[in-house]
Amino acid sequence: MLKLIGLTRRFGDVVALDDVTFTVPEGELVGFVGRNGSGKTTTMRIVVGVLEPDAGQVIWRGAPADAVARRRFGYMPEERGLYPRMRVHEQLVYLARLHGIDTTEADRRATELFETLQVEAKPSDRVESLSLGNQQRVQLAAALMHRPELLVLDEPFSGLDPTGVDVLGAVLAREAREHGVPVVFSSHQLELVERVCDRVVLIERGRVLAEGAIDELRAARMRNLLRIEIVGAQERWFDVLPGVRLERSLPDGVVLELTDGADPQRVLDVARSQGEVRHFSRVQPTLSELFREVVQA
Amino acid sequence: MVSTLINLVVISVLISIRAFSGGTGEANFQVGTIAGEPAGDRIGTVAQAVPGVRARIVSFPDEAAARAAVADGRVDGALIGDRLIVREVAPASLRQIVQLSFAAERQEEVLDRYGITAGDRAQLGGGSPIVIEALEPGDPNRDQNEAIAFVGMILLYGQLFGYGVWVASGVLEEKSSRVVEILLAAMRARQLMAGKIVGIGLLGLLQLAFLGGFAIALALATGAIDLPGSAASIALLDIGYFVLAFAFYASLFAVAGALVSRMEELQNVLVPVNLVIIVSFFISISALADPNSVLVRVASILPTSSALAMPVRIAVGAAAWWEIALSVVLSIAGTFALIPIAGRAYAGAVLRIGGRVKLREAWRAAA
Repeated sequence: MLKLIGLTRRFGDVVALDDVTFTVPEGELVGFVGRNGSGKTTTMRIVVGVLEPDAGQVIWRGAPADAVARRRFGYMPEERGLYPRMRVHEQLVYLARLHGIDTTEADRRATELFETLQVEAKPSDRVESLSLGNQQRVQLAAALMHRPELLVLDEPFSGLDPTGVDVLGAVLAREAREHGVPVVFSSHQLELVERVCDRVVLIERGRVLAEGAIDELRAARMRNLLRIEIVGAQERWFDVLPGVRLERSLPDGVVLELTDGADPQRVLDVARSQGEVRHFSRVQPTLSELFREVVQA
Repeated sequence: MVSTLINLVVISVLISIRAFSGGTGEANFQVGTIAGEPAGDRIGTVAQAVPGVRARIVSFPDEAAARAAVADGRVDGALIGDRLIVREVAPASLRQIVQLSFAAERQEEVLDRYGITAGDRAQLGGGSPIVIEALEPGDPNRDQNEAIAFVGMILLYGQLFGYGVWVASGVLEEKSSRVVEILLAAMRARQLMAGKIVGIGLLGLLQLAFLGGFAIALALATGAIDLPGSAASIALLDIGYFVLAFAFYASLFAVAGALVSRMEELQNVLVPVNLVIIVSFFISISALADPNSVLVRVASILPTSSALAMPVRIAVGAAAWWEIALSVVLSIAGTFALIPIAGRAYAGAVLRIGGRVKLREAWRAAA
């Protein structure tokens, strides 16, 4: 388990991180979301030891993370970077050796990852000759070469085509589920985070605004919303119902919010009396909606 | 590889120039004569008596052949009657021996006229050679040692510069390709910098040893020098000072590389470091002429320039032992003082992609 406790970091007068605290449990995928400049990259750089915090601690398996522990972390920076003129296979082996893997093992692992990640290139190709999507796969392979005990990925999905997104999603899920590796990754694609992750951490202006399982977050902010479509209904037909107000109008219907214990069945009865009910469902707030709500609050 | 080849060519040219311009400092002339002329034999004898000059006589059947040989450079001059034929100008020492040989010729004629005996003539020849007593005797090998030190200094300068720039561009390459961030996740900034310096430094050392060995072998083979012992010790001296100077300068080159993000900007940040090395180089050249001027003595002790200036002074026998010891101590101390400063500036600058990072910003960023 990875624990960040009270991480604080300033760049000159700018406070990049202000008391950032959250947890990445074993075997779970944690989405790290926030707007540009909210502190995601700074946080991840501190976790992997590229930056030092001004205050706070990174705790890995119960002890402050040191250089030895960090050699077992896998990191994919947002600024992708490989030696452009080095051959792909050679490069992966070299990077793995920096993490203490011997050449034979690194050789085998590189070949294996080439297949798993569906890199469309020859091992002897130079990195600069690869398409961006393939470079990105190689970059991810570099992070996975030494079978890391923790994965920290900064925007791993950006720039991938839909197939690439699926492949990467599956690889991350396997790392977490089968090998129990805690995985934390940042992303702007919130519906993707929602689909892939167990937990999210929401950061804004260097502060963690929300942290937890996506379902819990939803439940905590769950409003009782109903989406209803009726053919031939009157304007504001729901005004007769106590505790029901219009949340928003849709082209073919409405979203209503139920408060004060108003009963959905009662709403359905009134709706049916209005005409043919084409659609009647509970509305789950999406992660994007949660995100907007939390950030605006 | 290419740079090694270029270096080999430069060394070969330098050594060949010396070898063909008379190697160990003697002027060597080929003088043509027409078969049967007595002046010819005389020149060889006279040349033997003049220190530092040698002449070899080449016989031609007639004047036309002798003139042709002068014209196409097979001989340095042709003596025909009382006329010395040369292509462009006659070197002073050649003129001197020809003139002396004429004088000797006349002398013989006069002695013949008066019927002087062979024994008396021998006495007239000059008796025993003069004994020279020097009040401050110089090293007889100084000229050669100077030449060896000069070539050594040029090699050292090239290595220091070339491999220093290699460190800077290596750091820059890792920064601009962003690969530095995953490297820093596997090791600390200072380790990365140190690894780069040691790796490239070892290559530089290897190449220097190779070039030095090649230069000495070539110089001995062509007769440009004939002192294998001092050549080897000057080479070792240069190698030792290369290690000191590279250790001193490399961390500065690394910081310079970390401050910028593009190759085009690298030249600008390297200017201060390059300037110091170039100035040291010129001071060291002046050390060949005057190894004990105040400027040269100071330069040979300061770590910024000792690697270039001190081996030259040692080679010509001008350095006191304490000066040598001080230069080594200062170089090591300077390196150790510089490493933590450079390491911090490097760590602060290497992740800041974009424009040129100011040194002060880099220093603060690594706090």
